[in-house]
Amino acid sequence: MISPTPQPANAPSPNTIRVEYDDTTVRRFMFASVLFGVVGMLVGLLAATQLAWWQANFNLPYLTFSRIRPLHTNAVIFAFVGNMMFAGVYYSTQRLLKTRMASDALSSIHFWGWQLIIVAAAVSLPLGFSTGKEYAELEWPIDIAIALIWVVFAINFFWTLAKRNEQQLYVAIWFYIATIITVAVLHIVNSLALPLSPLKSYSAFSGVQDALVQWWYGHNAVAFFLTTPILGIMYYFLPKAVGRPVYSYRLSVVHFWSLVFMYIWAGPHHLLYTSLPDWAQSLGMLFSLMLWAPSWGGMLNGLLTLRGAWNKVREEPVLKFFAAGVTFYGMATFEGPLLSIKSVSALAHYTDWIVGHAHGGALGWNGLMAAGMFYWLTPRLFGTKLHSKSAADAHFWVATIGIILYLVSMWIAGINQGLMLKALNPDGSLQYPSFVETLLAIRPMYILRAVGGLLYLGGFLLMAWNLIMTARSGKAVNGVADVLRRADAEPSATAFDVVKGRPIWFSVLTIAAMVAFGMASSTVMAVVMIAVLAVIGEGAYLLSRRDKAAGKPSWFTLVEGRPLAFAVLTLLAVLAGGVAELLPTILVKQAVPETGAAQKPYTALELQGRDIYVREGCYTCHSQMVRPLIGDTQRYGEVSRAEEFIYDHPFQWGSKRTGPDLHRAGGRYPNLWHYSHMVDPRAVSPGSNMPSFEYLASMRLDTAIAPRKLAAMQKLGVPYTNADLEHALETQKAQAEVLTADLKTQGIELAWDTDLTAIIAYLQRLGRDTGVPLTAPPPPTAVVPPPAPAPDPAAPVAPAVPADPAAPPAPAQPVGGAP
Amino acid sequence: MKSDRPGVLHVFDDIEEADNHLPLWWLATLFGAIVFSAGYWLMFHTMHQAKSPMEEYREEAEAHRAQLKQSGPSSDGVLLALSKDPQVLSEGEKVFKTSCVACHGQNGEGVVGPNLTDRFWIHGGGPLAVHASISHGYPDKGMAAWGPVLGQEKVTNVSAWVLAQRNKNLPGKAPQGTEEP
Repeated sequence: MISPTPQPANAPSPNTIRVEYDDTTVRRFMFASVLFGVVGMLVGLLAATQLAWWQANFNLPYLTFSRIRPLHTNAVIFAFVGNMMFAGVYYSTQRLLKTRMASDALSSIHFWGWQLIIVAAAVSLPLGFSTGKEYAELEWPIDIAIALIWVVFAINFFWTLAKRNEQQLYVAIWFYIATIITVAVLHIVNSLALPLSPLKSYSAFSGVQDALVQWWYGHNAVAFFLTTPILGIMYYFLPKAVGRPVYSYRLSVVHFWSLVFMYIWAGPHHLLYTSLPDWAQSLGMLFSLMLWAPSWGGMLNGLLTLRGAWNKVREEPVLKFFAAGVTFYGMATFEGPLLSIKSVSALAHYTDWIVGHAHGGALGWNGLMAAGMFYWLTPRLFGTKLHSKSAADAHFWVATIGIILYLVSMWIAGINQGLMLKALNPDGSLQYPSFVETLLAIRPMYILRAVGGLLYLGGFLLMAWNLIMTARSGKAVNGVADVLRRADAEPSATAFDVVKGRPIWFSVLTIAAMVAFGMASSTVMAVVMIAVLAVIGEGAYLLSRRDKAAGKPSWFTLVEGRPLAFAVLTLLAVLAGGVAELLPTILVKQAVPETGAAQKPYTALELQGRDIYVREGCYTCHSQMVRPLIGDTQRYGEVSRAEEFIYDHPFQWGSKRTGPDLHRAGGRYPNLWHYSHMVDPRAVSPGSNMPSFEYLASMRLDTAIAPRKLAAMQKLGVPYTNADLEHALETQKAQAEVLTADLKTQGIELAWDTDLTAIIAYLQRLGRDTGVPLTAPPPPTAVVPPPAPAPDPAAPVAPAVPADPAAPPAPAQPVGGAP
Repeated sequence: MKSDRPGVLHVFDDIEEADNHLPLWWLATLFGAIVFSAGYWLMFHTMHQAKSPMEEYREEAEAHRAQLKQSGPSSDGVLLALSKDPQVLSEGEKVFKTSCVACHGQNGEGVVGPNLTDRFWIHGGGPLAVHASISHGYPDKGMAAWGPVLGQEKVTNVSAWVLAQRNKNLPGKAPQGTEEP
């Protein structure tokens, strides 16, 4: 153990060593974050502009909204926040552990490797290389690179922990440990895929299972990439900046462990009212509600640390950013549980409210915390003072107004459209049968949102300038400290002491009782389990009080001195929720042949079309999930069923409806309608903001790859026969020619082997067993029975019925319109 | 590391850590949410005392169907809504298979009467137009008025089914009437 008094530098004891921190890596990550922050937000602004003015898609594949949106999300999450997180972790970890990072080489590999991954993403996403899973769109070689670089980071971090000169781990380090471990688990499981070619793969999971794995990942990417590392950063930089003690250690303990344990379970709140089994949906909702307090624990520890120093907050821009960032965190983590309530989700899901919620976190929490940290770090990293405090103040106000405009416009847009989409006339029919009508109603909000984004980006650019000017006014300096070497002897506590710790056994018992309660089929059993849980809780409380009174050292103190034990326990806490939800759902796979016997796999052409649907990112605006809600079934058709998706690798349920749901689109419109709609959406759906996909008509399908695609699907368990594989090329061509022949009868010339042909074939197949026929029907005249002088010899149009003309021809309605 | 200062538990890199009590209202939200969750699970998944979203939907759908039928074919929207309702469609199909197949074929592909699965309509293919054709008929052209025979409900059901067959383009009788896109 180390003595608490710092040794004066001029009187080095034999145990004192001088440590120079590696701040070069910190500077690199910081400026990479600023650079990619600008890029990511610029792309976001373009996307926002495209939603308000479709012309901003410029008819270019690489700039089309659906390809740009994954670029925006990936850039902001992994490039902007990722680099910011690494800067904060490298800076604070070295100082909290009183040692330089273990390996400069690994730090360097980590930095350059991560930037290479970002560049690979920035190139591959606009080119359309996408797995079609949100926030995990990067294709498999990049996924492998991410895993490798993450391991490099982990080795470097844990190695640094091993050679630390501070025995106990501060709460910031706990959060970093949780981040590193959990992101690795999430990324690897969700990226499991079967490669088809060097830049194309199919998710190993399908349908409901893929959806559950994806949102277990997606939700926890928010938790463990955007939240826990930033909480760690808050715990270091906020008290540093304000110079006051962190409010409460015990609050840190309680909210850390409850947060990492509960967060994992909440993923299914993204799938409420879908085909996911109801028990899993309920778990997602309930754990989200229970997550409210643990999340607010972090906010409270931040805000209460500022207590008594609000005068400093008024004067110091760094503190303004932190105070507002933590407040937005509190707001977003209150809104999250609210949106997870089933009945709220019924209205808000698929609408812009969710987009607003995500940006409350990204702009408010991540963006403002990043800015606060950068303003604090840059002068220290360059041995100077901030170039312009008033510019930083201006940044704060512009950013805050930008966020408010963004959030308010999305609340209004989301709630308004949600209500319009479900509104019924007194006779029970839809009040707004045309989807476009609801989109046009919220267009002013889309414009306002773009303005909010523009303001936020403007503030960010101001910061970039300010930081560069600050850096130029000083020169790079590395932190130096004289630290006491940690005694080589391991602490007296052994691994056995950790394992026999009472909190472990109470946790194990609690989880066991929880599972027993959850699975109890009889009320008596469930009530007994509640009683058992109450006894466990009360027992734990009484025993810990007794120990405390007796002055015994806490078990948590013990674990906080042993990084390995801490990491293993965190992993177990995190795995509990994942195993409990994923395992039963994945084991159900055995039952799939029964439930899915009637489901027919896609034809070769439809599968090709599906890949184009994924490549173009159609899921960014269209869902494929009709929920059991009158508003949904009235508009789109029959409720979606789990077994309809068993061959969908990956699932394409989507998470946002900027356009209508497509699950029952198959057969609803003629091929010509689809052709016209893809080439010029506004020709058949006036007012639509969908980009034109005219370019698909001139893109040639890789027809030769069809058999290999079927073979890959066969490996994943889709029941294609070998004959299907052998004849894939012929059936592909035959089906395409039926489609193009149909178009030709209406004067449209389309080559059979275009991307457009394939995607129309796929759309015509959605939600039903048969799509475009595989062989052309014989000409109608051939079947007509010898026409006896029929009673209706080509009767002229005689709309004798008065009501007739009132009905517009149904298929000409805008997308998702009356039909 | 441990700190000697009063009220400060640890110090890490000059960051002091206090150990204040957990705010009571915060504890209340934590335990409140846990108790609520246990109760919710008990009600919905153990005792099944509350309806699942699917059960709730089925009831609402039933009521909604009744509402649509009661208001009669007052608008295209009502008929289109019914044409997406599997239960209405199966009832409609039964009516079609007993009363209509003779002239329009097993699946509406047309025999003596016109093909109902193409894009061509003699008396209009809009929902209300189809309903009116079935209900009032065109006796001079061989189409009976089925309203008095079948009753409103069955006419509505079969209209919904016919609407769902539009543009299936089954091979059958050659197109008649005008094309509706």
